[in-house]
Amino acid sequence: MFKHLFKLIWNKKKQNFLLITEMLVSFLVLFAVFTLMMYYYNNYKKPMGFDYQDVWVINYNNSYQTKNVDSLDLYYETLRKTIKSLPRVKEITFVSGNIPFSSRTNESGLTFRGKHVQHLNNFTVEDHYEKVMNVTLLEGRWFNKEDVVSKNQHIIIDADLKEATFGKESAVGKLLGNDDDKNKFKVVGVIQTIKRNGDYLKAGPGMYFRTDTGSFRWLDKILVKVDHGADAAFEGKLYKTMANYMKNANVEIEHLVNKRTDANYFALVPMIILAIVSAFLVINVALGLFGVLWYNINKRRGEIGLRRAIGATGKSVAAQLVSESMILATLALIIGTFFAAQFPLLNVFDLPAIVYIEGILLSVLFVYLLVLICSLYPGKQAAAIYPAVALHEE
Amino acid sequence: MIRLQNIEKVYRTDTIETLALNSVSLDIAKGEFLSIMGPSGCGKSTLLNIMGLLDAPSKGDIRIDDQKTEGMNDKQLAAFRNKKLGFIFQSYHLINDLQVLDNVELPLLYRDTTAKQRRELAAEALEKVGLANRLKHFPTQLSGGQRQRVAIARAIVGRPEIILADEPTGNLDSAMGNEIMEILLNLNRNDGTTIVMVTHDENMAHKTHRLVRLFDGAQVQ
Ligand SMILES: Nc1ncnc2c1ncn2[C@@H]1O[C@H](COP(=O)(O)OP(=O)(O)OP(=O)(O)O)[C@@H](O)[C@H]1O
Ligand SMILES: [Mg+2]
Repeated sequence: MFKHLFKLIWNKKKQNFLLITEMLVSFLVLFAVFTLMMYYYNNYKKPMGFDYQDVWVINYNNSYQTKNVDSLDLYYETLRKTIKSLPRVKEITFVSGNIPFSSRTNESGLTFRGKHVQHLNNFTVEDHYEKVMNVTLLEGRWFNKEDVVSKNQHIIIDADLKEATFGKESAVGKLLGNDDDKNKFKVVGVIQTIKRNGDYLKAGPGMYFRTDTGSFRWLDKILVKVDHGADAAFEGKLYKTMANYMKNANVEIEHLVNKRTDANYFALVPMIILAIVSAFLVINVALGLFGVLWYNINKRRGEIGLRRAIGATGKSVAAQLVSESMILATLALIIGTFFAAQFPLLNVFDLPAIVYIEGILLSVLFVYLLVLICSLYPGKQAAAIYPAVALHEE
Repeated sequence: MIRLQNIEKVYRTDTIETLALNSVSLDIAKGEFLSIMGPSGCGKSTLLNIMGLLDAPSKGDIRIDDQKTEGMNDKQLAAFRNKKLGFIFQSYHLINDLQVLDNVELPLLYRDTTAKQRRELAAEALEKVGLANRLKHFPTQLSGGQRQRVAIARAIVGRPEIILADEPTGNLDSAMGNEIMEILLNLNRNDGTTIVMVTHDENMAHKTHRLVRLFDGAQVQ
C-alpha cells in the first residue's frame, strides 16, 4: 500500500509540489522560532550566577583627576567609608563599567592551546565584589590581598571560559593566556558564569582582574548591597551623600532589579514579534492545507467511490488520505531538515548545536501535528461518502 | 447465486421522496448472464448498486452466494465486495494518475497479496482483455474501448464469481461495444462468471441468457 501511495503522489507531482513547498516554508519559519525559543529557554534554565536583589548601581563620572596615586586612593577610600557608614548599606564595591544588564562591554579574544575564544568579557573587580554580588565560587577562591604579585597576574575566570579553555580539567593554579604570551595569567578561582545579559541571552565567557593602584582613575561605577527594606528615602540620602562628596559629578542611581527587567524586555520583544508573525503564518498555512486537502477529497470523490466499490472500507479510505498528507509532510520535512542542518554544520549564528537540533525536532513535530489535524477531518469526511452516490456523480 | 426478495428503495431528500425500486424480486443462477433494460430513470443502476452492496435497500432481502448480507458492517461488506464482486461502469472510473497496470492491481491491494503476485495477476488479466502491450500507459493515453477493457481487467483480476456491469458499452461505438460484449461473453462461457449487465442496446441484451425489463422501479418482464 505504501508503494502504491508513493506512485500516486509521484504521478501527481505537479499538484503536490505546491503543497510540499507550503509545508517546507512553514517548517523553516517554525524552525527559526523554535530554535530561538530553545536558545532562550536553555539560557533561562541556567542559574543567574549572582544576586541582583537589593543591589544598587551608583554611576558617577570620574572627575577627580590627580597624578598622585596616594591622594587618588585616599579620595576614593574616604568615599567608600562614607557610603559604607550609611545605615542601610551592607557592602560596597567599585567596579568596571561593564556591570550586569548594562550595554557596556569590554571584550577581547584569547587563543589558548590552539583554541580561539571570542567575545571574552574583561571585568575589573575588587575583593568585595564577591560579597556584594554573592557570586558562586565553583573552584579555588575569590581575590584577596595575596593577589598582589609581580609575575603571572592572578585572575578569576567564569565557568564558560574554563569550559572553553581547560574543558573538564581543574583550572585553579594553571596558567592561562595567549599561546605566544610569555607572561600568562594564573587562575586562582572559577565562578559560575553570571548572566550579565539577562535571563535569556548568553553571558560568558568572562575573565576577572583584580583592581590595582590607579584603577580608580577610570572606574566609574559602584555596586552597593543594601538592606532589603532600603527605600526611596534612603536612595535620596545615598544620592545626596554622593553628590556632596563629588561636587561637580553627575551621579545616577539604578537598581539591578530594574535593569534586569529592561534587559529581558529587549531580549523578548523580537522573540514575541517573531512568534506573532509565525503564528499568523502557521494559521494561514493550516487553513491553506485544510482547504487543499478538502478540495482534493471533493475532486477525488469518484476515486473514493471506486475504492469503496472494490473493497476499501471507509476507514481505509480515510487512512489513505491522511497517509498521503503525512508522506507529503515527510518529504517536505526531509528537505527542510537538510536546510536547517546547515545552521549547526556551518555554525552560522554561533549557537550550540543542541539548540538547533531541539529546534528541528520541535518543528518536525509541529508540522506533523499540523498536517495530521488538517487532514483528519477531510479524511473523516471522505470515509462518510456513500460509494453509490460518489460513483453516480461522474 | 443472487436472490433479491421484495426489494424496495426509497430516496428521500428534503422535499421529495422517490420510489426508485418497487418490490423487485429476482433470482439469478450461478453462471447466468442476465441483462437489465428499461427507460432512463427506471432504477436499473439503483438495482445494480443494491446487488453490489454499494447501497442498502429500504426494504427487502438480499442473499448472495447463500449469504445474508443484511447487518454486515462496513468491514465485512468491503471484504465481500472485494472477494465476490467485480464492477464495470459506463464511465470506466479509472484513476487517471495511475498507470494501467496499477489500476488493475487496485482490488488486490485490499487483499493479502505480495507485490509480485499483484503484478502477475494484473498482467494476466490485461492479457485476457488484449491489452498486454499497454501496461505502462496512463488511462488518458487510451481510447474509450481500451479504457473499458482496463476496467474489465480490474473487475476480473480478483477472480470474482459475479460481475456487475452498468452500461459497459454505453460510451462506446458499436464496434467497440461488440468487442467488450465479446469479452464478457467469453468470461461467462469460459470461467463461469455470473454477470449482470445493464444496457440500452437490444442487440447486446439478446446475446445474454435472460432479459429483465424494469419500468418505474418495477419489474415488467
Ligand atoms: N442519490 C439519489 N438521491 C435521490 N434520488 C436518486 C438518487 N439516485 C437515483 N435517484 C432516483 O432514483 C431513480 C432511479 O435512478 P437510477 O440511477 O437507478 O436510474 P437508471 O435506470 O440507472 O437510469 P439511467 O438509464 O439514466 O442510468 C431516478 O428517478 C433517480 O432520480
Ligand atoms: Mg443508470
